[in-house]
Amino acid sequence: MNLLTARAPWYLAGPVIGLIVMLLLWVTNKPFGALGGYIELTEWAGGRRPGWRVYFTLGVVVGGLLSAVVGLGWTPTVAYGTFDHMFGSSLAVKAVVLFGAGALMGAGGRLAGGCTAGHGICGMALGSTASLVSTATFMAVAVGMAQLLAWLFGGGA
Amino acid sequence: MNLNAVGLIFGTAFGFVLGWARLTDYDVIHDMLMLREPDVFLIMGSAIATAAVGVRVLRAFSVRSIVDGTPVKWAVDTPRPKHLWGSALFGVGWSVAATCPGPVAAQVGRGQFAGLFTIAGLLAGIVVCDRVRARRRRAARPLPLGEAANVVGL
Repeated sequence: MNLLTARAPWYLAGPVIGLIVMLLLWVTNKPFGALGGYIELTEWAGGRRPGWRVYFTLGVVVGGLLSAVVGLGWTPTVAYGTFDHMFGSSLAVKAVVLFGAGALMGAGGRLAGGCTAGHGICGMALGSTASLVSTATFMAVAVGMAQLLAWLFGGGA
Repeated sequence: MNLNAVGLIFGTAFGFVLGWARLTDYDVIHDMLMLREPDVFLIMGSAIATAAVGVRVLRAFSVRSIVDGTPVKWAVDTPRPKHLWGSALFGVGWSVAATCPGPVAAQVGRGQFAGLFTIAGLLAGIVVCDRVRARRRRAARPLPLGEAANVVGL
């Protein structure tokens, strides 16, 4: 189906994500966010039983799988788009750079109490000023850093 | 209704949209952060607008949550330095990986296995943050008796 193989337009994807935030609050009375699942996973290692947010993250994996299957098909790869041109396609470089970037997001998101989903979408919608400050900060830093990285490594610009 | 099942269903819906809108692709987020393409900003903006209206409708009608029957409500936080420093770190990681905690899980589902490195990093970063904070808390205030007993191994 053309609708599913093509990239979803923003005016469809955005409102659907907004509805997910609203319905999650309606059904569970809990705020939407993506970082919590990983936090619960680390707590699981420390002996605490995983909560519903681990199931949410598991669902995101399943949803991604379904989007590939009904879309252009599931084709496993370690290629990562322009990243491979900027940093090199060697698996070792990829492992180190992405692990480091992930660690910054994990530590930073944990400290700030939210990520692009939790602060950037849910907190913003709920009118949290902490989320507004967080979102403005990570947006500004990420946009600035992206320009710097493109200047340093070339970004297909 | 079982909370874990609800989490799985909502996660699946979210992951599907992330993949469908290609928010799982390095180049889509890279082009957003390079300010070449407005789509991801429009997705976030329209998601915020939709949810902002939706949750206020729920509150206006005093709707109760389906899982446990409690009145739908939420708490908001005021900005503190941790939001600034944490989000600055987060922004650096985001610009390098061009993915964040939600989309990276959908990446793995779609078979983009470079995301596994990012996820390993996320988990490590959370553990480091928790350890550092626990150490600072211990250093900052005298230990309650029970905790002190654990530390000295009693």
